[in-house]
Amino acid sequence: MTFFAPFCIPFIIGTVSLFVTIIAKWVSWVYYMPRTDRKLLRRGLFSMQTVKGVGEVVCECLLHRRIFRINPLLGYMHMSLAFGWFLLIVVGWLETVAYLGLEPVPLQGHVFFRYFATGISEHKPVFDFVMDALLLFVLSGVALAWGKRFYSRAMGMRRTTKHFLGDRVALSALWFIFPARLVAESLTCALYGGGGFLTGTIGRWMASHVNIEILQMLYEPSWWFYSCALGVFFVAMPFSRYQHIFTEIPLIFLRRYRLLPHEKASSLDKFQIQACSRCGICLDPCQLQQDLGINDVQSVYFLRDRRYNRLKLAVANNCLMCGRCEAVCPVGINLNTLRQNSRDRLRNIPDESRYKYFKGLDRSSGEGRVGYFAGCMTLLTPRTLHSMEQIFKAVGEDVWWADRDGGVCCGRPLKLSGETDSAKKMMQFNKELFYKHNISILVTSCPICLRVFREEYALRGIEVLHHSEYIARLMREGRLKLNNDGGRVTYHDPCELGRGCGIYDAPREVLSAVGELLEPKHTRENSYCCGGSLANTVIGDAQQLRLAQTMSAEFEATGAGTVVTSCPLCKKSIARGTSMPVKDLSEIVAENIAS
Amino acid sequence: MAAINWGFAISRPRVIDVDHNNLRKSDEILLEMPELQSCIGCGACTASCTAGNLTQFNFRKVHTLVRRGEYQGAYEEMNKCMLCGKCRLLCPRGINTRGVVMLIKRKLGDF
Amino acid sequence: MERVIVIGGGVAGMKAALDLRRRGFEVTLLEKSRHLGGKVRKWHCLFPTFTSAAEVLGGLKAEVADSDIEVRLEAEVVSFDNRSVTLASGEKLACGAVVLATGFTLFDARVKEEYGYGIYDNVITSADLEEMFRNGRVALRNGERPRRVAFLHCVGSRDEKVCQRHCSKVCCVTGVKQAIEVKKLFPEADVFNFYMDIRMFGPGYEEMYREAQLSHNIHFVRGRISEASPTIDGRLQIKAEDTLTGRPLKMSVDMLVLLVGMRSNDDNVHLAEQAGVPLAPNGFFAPKDMFAGNVCSPRKGVFYAGAITAPKSIGEVLNEGSAVADAVTEYLS
Repeated sequence: MTFFAPFCIPFIIGTVSLFVTIIAKWVSWVYYMPRTDRKLLRRGLFSMQTVKGVGEVVCECLLHRRIFRINPLLGYMHMSLAFGWFLLIVVGWLETVAYLGLEPVPLQGHVFFRYFATGISEHKPVFDFVMDALLLFVLSGVALAWGKRFYSRAMGMRRTTKHFLGDRVALSALWFIFPARLVAESLTCALYGGGGFLTGTIGRWMASHVNIEILQMLYEPSWWFYSCALGVFFVAMPFSRYQHIFTEIPLIFLRRYRLLPHEKASSLDKFQIQACSRCGICLDPCQLQQDLGINDVQSVYFLRDRRYNRLKLAVANNCLMCGRCEAVCPVGINLNTLRQNSRDRLRNIPDESRYKYFKGLDRSSGEGRVGYFAGCMTLLTPRTLHSMEQIFKAVGEDVWWADRDGGVCCGRPLKLSGETDSAKKMMQFNKELFYKHNISILVTSCPICLRVFREEYALRGIEVLHHSEYIARLMREGRLKLNNDGGRVTYHDPCELGRGCGIYDAPREVLSAVGELLEPKHTRENSYCCGGSLANTVIGDAQQLRLAQTMSAEFEATGAGTVVTSCPLCKKSIARGTSMPVKDLSEIVAENIAS
Repeated sequence: MAAINWGFAISRPRVIDVDHNNLRKSDEILLEMPELQSCIGCGACTASCTAGNLTQFNFRKVHTLVRRGEYQGAYEEMNKCMLCGKCRLLCPRGINTRGVVMLIKRKLGDF
Repeated sequence: MERVIVIGGGVAGMKAALDLRRRGFEVTLLEKSRHLGGKVRKWHCLFPTFTSAAEVLGGLKAEVADSDIEVRLEAEVVSFDNRSVTLASGEKLACGAVVLATGFTLFDARVKEEYGYGIYDNVITSADLEEMFRNGRVALRNGERPRRVAFLHCVGSRDEKVCQRHCSKVCCVTGVKQAIEVKKLFPEADVFNFYMDIRMFGPGYEEMYREAQLSHNIHFVRGRISEASPTIDGRLQIKAEDTLTGRPLKMSVDMLVLLVGMRSNDDNVHLAEQAGVPLAPNGFFAPKDMFAGNVCSPRKGVFYAGAITAPKSIGEVLNEGSAVADAVTEYLS
């Protein structure tokens, strides 16, 4: 049996082009990786992580478990296309083996088996049935994809991604592949018999209703069309969003080997950027989209623009970096880190002469084992500062006040803006200051500072605590006794504290000791951003206010008397959005210290 | 003779000569961020400024001079800013001050 | 003659009620609190002439008492339209026209947390200072005489950060007036006024400003205070930029007076909705037009007097009391 027909040429070209491109990409990405990353890769390759990675690949790349969890219908759509197609290939291969034994068959022989197998007289109805069932499974996914494009709301998505031309070509080719296969196989069945419940039935219907000459005339073109659809899709795939199919697989392993994007962009990032399937799940959680109608800056568009080298500063900078999209990304892309290192690439200008004025600076006061770093913003919420002072006094703690009379910023705001190298200078300054004063615990009431202290300062011998954690610890140790007179309160999770540092329970533990906690609708991992985020340098004051107002409406709906938060920036924002009293966690604690 | 100290420098005139200054960059800046024009010069930004507390940096003065076409040294001055964002929390006109710092640095990098 | 209901027993409401009664209407004056007089009750004396507030108010109150205006105290209005007013008690009063004169709300200085009102002892508002003047005892919390006092203009006015865009108009003059009064009480004290702009719009105001500078040696610093913090010796340290010299300024003071602005009442939204009349973006009621119809609403039979439409001085408010009586007369005849 020969396994070649002229119509196979588009498919063969497509396949060769696909594999050459993918392999070239992988090799070059790994080649240009930072050396330390390559070392991690070598070390990880022969560890248990590789085995676990295989399991994850099956769960995520084929079954799309994470999308299922977020939106079952969307999960089914992705699963039917990925897993269905995968099974079609595997069962198709088994089918040829079943018919022909282990005789070597070229790739097109498997793919167009129905065309080449017309000469085989005996049929194996089991394979006919299974292959038809799988085709139907995939077609159901294609139908849903059509539906999603035209009516996304029915799929539980308020918005769907806007695509550019290249994606549209690949998308259309993909949509045609399976209907084309159905037509081609049905026509084959009509002329040569065989086929299962789907192709066989359609074939018999065609044979009895359509003139045989017409069927014969359509026969070859239908296979040509199927092959062309496959060929076009394969050629377009590495240059379109469908690159994600082959990028997500290595990404899963890389992540398991702890190869994550850094503050500086590197070729490692490409594994993340090109793993984005542009599913658009990141659109709905975005408050810039939801409240302000900004619809071209979300992670999906950011990654797309960055991938095709047309990222604009205005897009890179227009993000709250609240992490709401990162929390739902089904591929688990480190969106905030990528955004951050894009800004670094666009804006970082190393300047040795900068911040010379830090030299010899020390405005700190007091002395103690515990250091308190208010942060720039807390200086504008003196009630927090005042309350912390009362709390320290109540437990008899001597405190070293790092910046009450002004100091150097923690460096995170500058880093978020992209000036990574200059931000390092501030970090270095503060680090030396902390060491100089021999503290063992560093308390801060600003989650922005907290995050950078934990993630970047690498303070040896100094434990960094958010004031909510510090207060919770004082309570647990029995050093701080509180009255439960705070009444009904609701709590706002600051982005940098919650999604940023994973601190959700400490403030709640404290709050339930001083009052009754009523949760707003969006809470914990799902909480809204107050709009005041320092990460966004594009939106204006009125837009920030609108974000604050939408969020504050949820606090009013809880029926609580007071809004509590534990970030000075959030406090300021919320106070603009509501007429309810807004307090920092430390305030409500200081008000309820049992004497 | 050359060693005579006249007591004043004649190289740079004190006057802001708007006729002479090229306002193109200034116009570009205001086009991108029209809200900067709404500054009423209250000085709250400079008063609270974390960097201004430690150096001569004066955000209000620098951006006002830039708007008048005086670009010399603006980039270096803005580089003193730590971008901490205190000023944005205070500005009674709601100007995106951090955005202004970044914009001026971007536009006047070569001055 | 038909009945006209005046809502709000402050100076605007009283003046409107008196003028309407004089024109022969039956007038009901509704006041939410237990006393007539509104915000002026709490004021000591008025700019620019230092006339006693009690004197101005006393005259009006006596006239109201002498007339047969029906005054109902502790009568809170929950809704109204051009033919009726509903009270919190559920009582519904019918009428031919309604004059709304519910005034304004003083800005809550605690919202501007960085100034430390409610945190530090000697940060007070202009209203608190008037209260001290009325009680005849201006002193620090510990009873001492202040040696240095700072006034901060525009607290809760012209400030996007607290969603109050408008100028409250009277605080500048009040700040100058109070500075003079403080200086008279404590001639040895230094008095500083921190301002963004000084808006001396009325007769005699600019003259008072000059007098403050020339005769009372009051210092004016052009810059907005950014924050106040306590010093070790129990004073307050304030930070501002002295914008005229272009340099940051630090100063220790004994007392910081925040000149709080006028904002719209919270229940304006509800009342306007019930009455079917529009509000301006700043929450005050929007008059029919800014000129001949500035005491009229777009709805027939609903009229405005006083600071319900915008911040106004007492003189202006009294004029509006008369103007509204004229407009109501025209409407009802």
